[in-house]
Amino acid sequence: MPEEGILDWLERAGRRPSRPEGGLRFVDRAERATWFGWAEVRDRALAACGGMQALGIERGDRVALVFPTGIDFFAAFFGALLAGAVPVPLYPPSRLGRMEEYLCRTARMLERSGARLVLADSRLRRILGEAVEEVHPALGCRTVDDLPQGSAWPVRTGPSDLALIQFSSGTTVDPKPVALSHRAVAAQTEILTGFFPDTPELRQSCVSWLPLYHDMGLIGCVFPALARDAALTLLGPELFVARPALWLRAISRYRATISPAPNFAYELCLTRVSDADLEGVDLSDWRTALNGAESISPAVLRAFCARFARWGFRPEAMTPVYGLSEAALAVTFSDFDRPFRVTRFDREGLAREARARESADGREIVSVGRPVPGFRLRIVDPAGHDLPAGAVGRILIQGPSLMDGYLGDPEATARALRDGWLDTGDLGFLREGDLYLTGRAKDAVILRGRNYAPEEIERATEGVPGVRAGCAVAASWLPEDAPGEVLALFVEASRQATAEELAALPDACREAVLGTTGLAVEHLEVLAPGTLPRTSSGKLRRGETLRLYLAGELAVPDPAKSLRLTGALA
Amino acid sequence: MNDEAILAGIADVARVHLGWEGIVTPDLRLVEDLRLDSIRLLTLAAEVENRFRVLLDEADEAGIETVGDLIAVVRRKIGA
Repeated sequence: MPEEGILDWLERAGRRPSRPEGGLRFVDRAERATWFGWAEVRDRALAACGGMQALGIERGDRVALVFPTGIDFFAAFFGALLAGAVPVPLYPPSRLGRMEEYLCRTARMLERSGARLVLADSRLRRILGEAVEEVHPALGCRTVDDLPQGSAWPVRTGPSDLALIQFSSGTTVDPKPVALSHRAVAAQTEILTGFFPDTPELRQSCVSWLPLYHDMGLIGCVFPALARDAALTLLGPELFVARPALWLRAISRYRATISPAPNFAYELCLTRVSDADLEGVDLSDWRTALNGAESISPAVLRAFCARFARWGFRPEAMTPVYGLSEAALAVTFSDFDRPFRVTRFDREGLAREARARESADGREIVSVGRPVPGFRLRIVDPAGHDLPAGAVGRILIQGPSLMDGYLGDPEATARALRDGWLDTGDLGFLREGDLYLTGRAKDAVILRGRNYAPEEIERATEGVPGVRAGCAVAASWLPEDAPGEVLALFVEASRQATAEELAALPDACREAVLGTTGLAVEHLEVLAPGTLPRTSSGKLRRGETLRLYLAGELAVPDPAKSLRLTGALA
Repeated sequence: MNDEAILAGIADVARVHLGWEGIVTPDLRLVEDLRLDSIRLLTLAAEVENRFRVLLDEADEAGIETVGDLIAVVRRKIGA
């Protein structure tokens, strides 16, 4: 059980003069850095806490935060915690994206979180107006600067109080607010800091471009840095995506030992960083390049190691990991100082028998390592019985940093948490103690480290001429040799669709999905009515749809069978 | 800088950073015609800022649907 929590670390950072190297550094697009020692971060948080308390924020209130990466996010985040409130970080709009979609999603998330106050960056505040008006939080929407002046009266929260609400997939259809207690967040932070001890010879430091509304950025990078009074260098995610070289240059310049990112980030470096961008760059201090939050491509790992070896990148630094926001972050870690492990498994065994048999010309899967300290893992069959090593099943986990539940959704919580075990919804198997992921039993589309509810993508096709209403399935998976997961959309054509509508349908569906979700559909299949598999109650079976498609068996059902089915339902 | 020069700059960004091989005209829609997903829209915004030395904020970007809309915003920002 951790003895300290976020507020203890924050207090310590302010009580004694911060070590000169402990604090937050923000790097802008011209690569200029702004530095805030932890003591200053705490002072700003105290001021924000006083302001929120003067407004009427009390213990347990939720405060939604909509900020780009910058000091105001931290003033608001830690300020809310000092006031005993629960911060709810939400994502800012994506650039040139459709604003109506963004406002609609944000309004749903504000609603689900029950936020009493929204704090936002001054530019974002103007844009949020519509979403805020719709939900009408009791204390309105403000910037950190226009909070009233007031003395801060820090509230002592206990380990069972909530510390944070994160949306694991923030969407209009099915927002999942993950509620994490102070105890869970502290336990996860302790696990992470245990992996990166400071020694007299080595002061660990981290560079991150990860969004602060995501567990890998906030819990994985910010809390360990605060707990260890260490330096954390931050770039905005939009800066990284536009100029991935800035990430590698920051790692080199600030001699970072740790920097995590999802698979797509490593791939983006391969395609969008030129040799000229890396003049003078030295990546040899980078000891741990954590790679998690989405499916990991062996090809990308190898290519990244090969390409950046010239700049001192060490292959043993590449560390595949597995985690999820419901566990506050890390669940398994690969060994450090050992190159990542890739094994080939027989395709038929995996696809048809749910068995992992090694095979020299089989499908390559990257090991994501072993459970982190305090975590236990089980692989179970659909009935919940434990499976032996090498059998593919659902991954259940138990550990000190599991969520309390999904805020305000006891049913979803009961489905996910049973007898102290969290059903991850992921599929995998164990081999020699290492975990390998093979797919998902849950309906989730995971692209570029972000989770999307398939319903949201499917709903974009509503109203496309020729699409059979309510008959679309979205799914993503990692094809062999692909650099990352790809999105597939399966739509049934309506019986009344004209030839012209059918011809225009694929492009129209792609445009609709791209326009409303910002996601590009890689595979699009137009199917005859009745092709998509359904449950006996008529619900679409997404996992089964993908399985049939990959097995080449997605076809119109036998008319005799469907007649019998109709009869059974009648 | 006139609209033609701005268009040429945007076309260059599309070619170099987005791999767009076709002709870029003001009537092209960013999402439907240039097929830009959220990552590529972000890249376009950042690279247009770099090229024209302007900063676009969310209010400027709201309502940009076509290359022509983007040209108009850049023109306004350069003039400001």
